[in-house]
Amino acid sequence: MTVMNLSINNNIVGPIEVDPEIMMIEFLHEYLNLTGTKFGCGGGICHACVILVEDEQGMLKTERTCIHNALVFNGKKVHTIEGHATKDKYGEIIALHPVQESFSKHFSFQCGWCTSGFMNETIALIQRLKKDPIKKTDVETTIEAALGEHICRCTGYVKYYQSAKDLILSIKGLTK
Amino acid sequence: MTDLNRRDFIKKCVIGGVAVYSAPLLLSGQNAYASTIKENLKSKWKEEVGNNQPAFRFDAIEKVTGNKIYGRDYRAKDIPNWPDIQHYGFILRVNKADKIYEGFDLSGLSDEIKPYKVITEQDLANSGLKLPPYFGENMLLKKGSTPDYLGHEVAILLFDSFRKFKLAKNFIQFNNDIIQYGKTTELVTANVDPYASWRIVREENSLGSQAEDKYSTLKNGLFFPNYVDHKPVWPSNADKSGNTGEKGIFYANKLAEDIEHQDWLVIDRHFQTQSVDPMPLEPEAFNGWYDKFNESLHVVICSQSPQDFYHQAGEVLANSPLTKNIKKLIVHTPYIGGGFGGKDHTIFPYYGMMASLFATQPVHIANDRFEQFQSGIKRHPYKIHNKLAFDKNTYKIKGLISNMTLDGGGRMNFSPSVTMVGASAIQSIYYLPRNDIQAWCYPSQSPHAGSMRGYGTLQTMPTMEMMISEAAEALQVDPLQLRRINAFQAGQKNTQGAIPNADARYVEMLNEAEQHDIWKNRAENKKKFEKENPKKRYGVGFGIATKDYGTGADAPSTSIEITVEGKIIISTCSVEMGTGTDTSQGVLIAKHLGKMADNVEMAQIQLFDAMELIETDDPYLMSQETQDTMSKNPRWTPVIASASSASKSSYYQSHVTEAAAKILFTESLFPAAVAIWKEKYFNSAFATPDFTNVNDAHWENGHLSVMGNKPLSFELLAQKAHSMGLITSVMAHGFNRWSWAKGTYQLGAENKDYFLDGVAVKFGIGANRTVKKQANKYGYHVLKRLSVSYPKVQLNNAMVTYYTPCATLAEIAISEGSGKVEVLRTHTWLEPGNVHVKKLVEGQLEGGLTMGIGHTLYEYLPVDETGAGNGTWNLNRYQVPLAKHNGVWNMTHTLLPPLSPSDPTKGIAEVVMIPIVSALVEAIYQATNKRFYHLPISSKDIKEAI
Repeated sequence: MTVMNLSINNNIVGPIEVDPEIMMIEFLHEYLNLTGTKFGCGGGICHACVILVEDEQGMLKTERTCIHNALVFNGKKVHTIEGHATKDKYGEIIALHPVQESFSKHFSFQCGWCTSGFMNETIALIQRLKKDPIKKTDVETTIEAALGEHICRCTGYVKYYQSAKDLILSIKGLTK
Repeated sequence: MTDLNRRDFIKKCVIGGVAVYSAPLLLSGQNAYASTIKENLKSKWKEEVGNNQPAFRFDAIEKVTGNKIYGRDYRAKDIPNWPDIQHYGFILRVNKADKIYEGFDLSGLSDEIKPYKVITEQDLANSGLKLPPYFGENMLLKKGSTPDYLGHEVAILLFDSFRKFKLAKNFIQFNNDIIQYGKTTELVTANVDPYASWRIVREENSLGSQAEDKYSTLKNGLFFPNYVDHKPVWPSNADKSGNTGEKGIFYANKLAEDIEHQDWLVIDRHFQTQSVDPMPLEPEAFNGWYDKFNESLHVVICSQSPQDFYHQAGEVLANSPLTKNIKKLIVHTPYIGGGFGGKDHTIFPYYGMMASLFATQPVHIANDRFEQFQSGIKRHPYKIHNKLAFDKNTYKIKGLISNMTLDGGGRMNFSPSVTMVGASAIQSIYYLPRNDIQAWCYPSQSPHAGSMRGYGTLQTMPTMEMMISEAAEALQVDPLQLRRINAFQAGQKNTQGAIPNADARYVEMLNEAEQHDIWKNRAENKKKFEKENPKKRYGVGFGIATKDYGTGADAPSTSIEITVEGKIIISTCSVEMGTGTDTSQGVLIAKHLGKMADNVEMAQIQLFDAMELIETDDPYLMSQETQDTMSKNPRWTPVIASASSASKSSYYQSHVTEAAAKILFTESLFPAAVAIWKEKYFNSAFATPDFTNVNDAHWENGHLSVMGNKPLSFELLAQKAHSMGLITSVMAHGFNRWSWAKGTYQLGAENKDYFLDGVAVKFGIGANRTVKKQANKYGYHVLKRLSVSYPKVQLNNAMVTYYTPCATLAEIAISEGSGKVEVLRTHTWLEPGNVHVKKLVEGQLEGGLTMGIGHTLYEYLPVDETGAGNGTWNLNRYQVPLAKHNGVWNMTHTLLPPLSPSDPTKGIAEVVMIPIVSALVEAIYQATNKRFYHLPISSKDIKEAI
């Protein structure tokens, strides 16, 4: 057992004892009862389970939680789907993150099991594009590269991709 | 401790002394991580974005914020009144079916992580616990027996902490030393009769389809074979004047002789499909708590068919001495993360229930993906041999002979009806004057097979389309022209002799496809593409299909309630699995009630007990005499509730929702409006109002007006309806056997006809005491059903009559080096009828097409011991289609506009995945000059071919 401390959605978690065999998704689900991150395959293939890890510069990177032990995230600052919306002082959700809003408007998902993975990947992509804008003609291939490994069984991906494209083209500074 | 409260739990039924309740899944605020959503944000979903279209899905915000809404999300601490402690279960399964199971050895587990209870067959036997009869015997395999199938469950291990569970599972799951096997034996299924056999014979009248058939299943009934050596043997005696079977054989033989001897073009081909997994992204899960103190069993299930679980689980408990103290079964049915048939009548929750009975605290059992592949519902291979005959001069189809066999897997489940539906679907969009379709389904060692998306039609229908493409080439006729010549016309009969409902708009689709760039310019485009891409080959294929929706015994229920504050609450019996039923039902009422629903509650089957309906017989097997006799009982219905499957919600659920909304409007909101106009805006003391015709009423921006009267808000009308004691809640039940039951009801002093077989209402808070006293124990007044007309039972032989057409053009490129298929563009035509929510339809279409691409090119499971049943399959080997596989940026569609505002809303969820299959097969042929007759067509197959 190892003692673990980390930040999840800007809340300090720990110290908490965790076995090295416990995967991060299991830690989220069974230790913290954060079930918004979804288990799809357990093998790092479907990407339903990706969360965001924030580095010291505040840059977000996606990581799969079903193939990484919880201890890999020890000391890290991570964000999950539960942390993106704006809440009031009572914890009630009062406004959506732009990606949440865009996915909702586009009817991007159906069953929603893959949504948290797509959500985190798109949030990371948009942050990256803020730093390194791309040409408008490269938007589609950039989305393909970012979201291409995520599995959705219901939608055929079209409305996720259209949502990401519309969002990238509508936010100033992401394209040049 | 838990105390059942009528406000929280609604009694479903009593089975053998066990009262079954359904309960909303309320989160325990203290423990659960779940943020509530501010009401004004939640209500954003129904902000209209043009032509009565909602801004979001009803469940969008919960899904994008990670709220706990799925069955798999819930832990004991989340659920009010459950203990906080969560236990975990692991189901031990065999990975061989040809050896005697000799037990298991857990001695390798350290004491620290050993299960505190191991449930075996002996425990179940000691306690008289069994699977419901629907699933068969051997819930847990007995030591010394040969497994019935790969993945047969042998034990359930219970752990009192997640840590112990996890460490033990890591040790056990892929450890070949745990389960011990003895000598090799014959497969159990080698000595089991087929699950089902069907034969659909028809010969049209010499005067054509409009005249009475010489023979058909609808007219003459069905006949069945004997089983010899576990194979079907059909009656041998052919007699034109004999019984149903003898006549059928006569016409079948005659067709065979003609196909053999007439100067017809006969396309004689063998096809084979593969084993596939529906692969809903949420693997199955369960949570359950046996509250001994309160003699209650609480369960959370992930199911498309909770009504099935209510009854069958109740029976299991009622029949066991162990559970003699259980007086209450409380079932929670949250949202599910995808179904595709994989969670319809699944066996999984029963294992969870057994675990709960032996666990000392709430127990969570959740498949990982390996376990889901091993134990989840599949569709296994079809082998199909078709002979399709054409007149060489007119190009008309003369007849079809089809022999199909289907691997039904290790437990029977829905295989019999899948076999029947697949057989009845093979005709696709074509009119067949004569047919002899045989289909039988055999048991195998493979995992269970059941109600997977397509229900057999994905396997059978594309074979017809492939033969049509091949025939066009042989006859040297344009492929679309050959389709036009043979396309089904409205009023013609299907292979069962039944006339499909609604117009058949296949020619319209064919004409549109003919003008599309992908088709019209395919020769030039090929030349250009191959010149620009010398290492690639280009091909275009077209496919068309028409898929039935419904089951022939559909029984939806809806309740719509208006609160005094002006909120609309809809409750339906459908389960939300992603298709958007909650949204569509919430939206469709707006045309009658002026606004979308404020809340939509799903899977609320038990609520409808208020209609006091009873069912007695199997709707598929009952005699006409039984139906006639029973229907005299005004509380009787052929079926009380049915599963969320078969592309049903958009048509069947919508029918009752709309009917309930119309009643509310006609009987309550409009009279309330008239009352207000008369009281406040009209000289009622001096004249008779001329604005009392309900048909003149019109909603605009949530306000009701008629003949220039002051528009009144919904909220005002709701308040008025309540104060007047008018109807403020309508509960409706329908029954459809390829046509709706129609009832006449007493409503006040009037008799009203509705296409419903059960109606109950609640009156507003202003209703007088006498009226209120007449309410039943559920608070409803069941309208007296004066008479009812049910569709004749003979319509069961029609098998299907509601169809949705769909066509797809596919443009592909194939890499010569790798044989890899690249989908460049697709265009799909769909005739959905009147659409409730366009984006939901588009999403279904895009997702269905993608799943069809997976079926054609990628998805595959072996059916032997190397297949899913051995527990080692995951998505690293089972390739589902990704965005790079489906031409994601170039997937376009045309939704055919409805013929009229009264067109039904059709079921589309399955048909959208079918035409792409034959379109891709043909496109591959056009690119490579090689025809394939098996699925999936791998890049290796293609590479070898070129």
